[in-house]
Amino acid sequence: MPEGTGALREVLPKQGTGGEHCPTRPGSVRPGARSRPFSPFAGQLSVEDTATMVLCKPKILPLKSVSLEKLEKLQRAALEAAQPPEAAPPPSAGAAAPRQ
Amino acid sequence: IQAAWNLKTRALTEMVYVDEIDMDQEGIAEMILDENAIAQVARPGTSLKLPGTSQGGGPSPAVRPVTQSGRPITGFVRPSTQSGRPSTMEQAIRTPRTALTARPLTSASGGYVRLGTASMLTNPDGPFINLSRLNLTKYAQKPKLAKALFEYIFHHENDIKNALDLAALATEHAQFKDWWWKVQIGKCYYRLGLYREAEKQFKSALKQQDMVDTILYLAKVYMRLDQPVTALNLFKQGLDRFPGEVTLICGIARIYEEMNNISSAAEYYKDVLKQDNTHVEAIACIGSNHFYSDQPEIALRFYRRLLQMGVYNCQLFNNLGLCCFYAQQYDMTLSSFERALFLAENEEETADVWYNLGHVAVGIGDLNLAYQCFKLTLVNNNDYAEAYNNLAVLEMRKGHTEQARALLQTASSLAPHMYEPHFNVAVLSEKVGDLQRSYTAAQKSEEAFPGHVDTQQLIKQLKEHFAML
Repeated sequence: MPEGTGALREVLPKQGTGGEHCPTRPGSVRPGARSRPFSPFAGQLSVEDTATMVLCKPKILPLKSVSLEKLEKLQRAALEAAQPPEAAPPPSAGAAAPRQ
Repeated sequence: IQAAWNLKTRALTEMVYVDEIDMDQEGIAEMILDENAIAQVARPGTSLKLPGTSQGGGPSPAVRPVTQSGRPITGFVRPSTQSGRPSTMEQAIRTPRTALTARPLTSASGGYVRLGTASMLTNPDGPFINLSRLNLTKYAQKPKLAKALFEYIFHHENDIKNALDLAALATEHAQFKDWWWKVQIGKCYYRLGLYREAEKQFKSALKQQDMVDTILYLAKVYMRLDQPVTALNLFKQGLDRFPGEVTLICGIARIYEEMNNISSAAEYYKDVLKQDNTHVEAIACIGSNHFYSDQPEIALRFYRRLLQMGVYNCQLFNNLGLCCFYAQQYDMTLSSFERALFLAENEEETADVWYNLGHVAVGIGDLNLAYQCFKLTLVNNNDYAEAYNNLAVLEMRKGHTEQARALLQTASSLAPHMYEPHFNVAVLSEKVGDLQRSYTAAQKSEEAFPGHVDTQQLIKQLKEHFAML
């Protein structure tokens, strides 16, 4: 991924107008036309270095360790076990409630 | 009957056993009210609290997303992965700490209490062992029973005080010659926050019997005391005695990663792979390093290796999708992302996958799809700052300046450590002519990422403009 840099806004003349600015194809012979070495800046009228907005970067997701997964599983089980109120309310309701 | 009791105790413990070496949830109380700091300001490179300059090389924040504290995101997350110590209370409260919810742990004991209550809930007839009626002295004299009982109290009931009492009695009974009990006492002290005492216990245990586990516990203590260099030295000495021990090398690599020294960390992870080429953590970290160093094909190889080893979860497929796309293997990209979405276990993971899909859409030029993907990200996770930022960029392209500004406002308030929203606000304001706001935003962007060339150019331009006035 290329680092973000300011975009160069080039203003180039339209193709078809200004015939003598067309790049000469290598090897072609056009009677009467001078062969000019093609330069990318030959047709530019102005160059503007404007700042463009940057996107945040794609995120590689970190993998979870075995311990972390087990921990998550335990936490989830605890949450689910604490939830049903029909059964006798768990004695630790006070401790489990602040979780929410 | 003793054997049956022993077996049941150990079975119950095993149900909730999480390796203490990995368990390291630091609560806010511990972070803010830390009394263990020795010096007021640490020298650069010696503290975990100050990430320091990115002296280790590696990709800059222009290419790699950073976490709250300015550290680049890692390839692997464990219970103890720190997102850095926050500087203010407000930031501390904002930092997501628990594995499941985004709410922070107020205190480490809180997390353990919940685990302890989990054990109580799984036993509807009341606790298997009634701790208050337990005669600890009697058990302390029977070493085999005592050890099983200790583990039960420590892991299943989470009653550290009783566990400590039992361990102290047992150590006395063993006349201080049993290294195992010293390690257990050390673990209790660690949990209670008495780090220096824990250090003494572990050191004494090491003198008696050199064990890799003890070295790991002692290193954990040093990390808590914010002395990474001491921990590093400890590991290196350990490697002299246990050459090639994977856990020690991995420990060194983790410390370097925490200190933001990515190149050394990468070196040590490679060492780990030389010893054990199925080590998931090392593969994941090296893979993510390669991805952000503009080498997605190599990263792809590493992630495919993980697939070979049978790792099968949302994160891996997401990473595979990203690497395939940037390595130009477009056939695999979308199916990997589809699999990732299918495997996502909660909304935050789904949001992550949609966010990356948005990036893929931007890459192929389908801005409508990108817009929808980022919106879906926000549906799944309303606090996704990066998605707000990218939506703002898309809105700007359509010309909706005010909407873009509102989105950027949200993004920058959700994630003040990211430089992108601030920079975009600066660019936006400059375009509409609000130079003052542009300047303040550019300054914030520079604070977040001083090396950003465009920000510096913008500030220079604005300064020249102001000088002319």
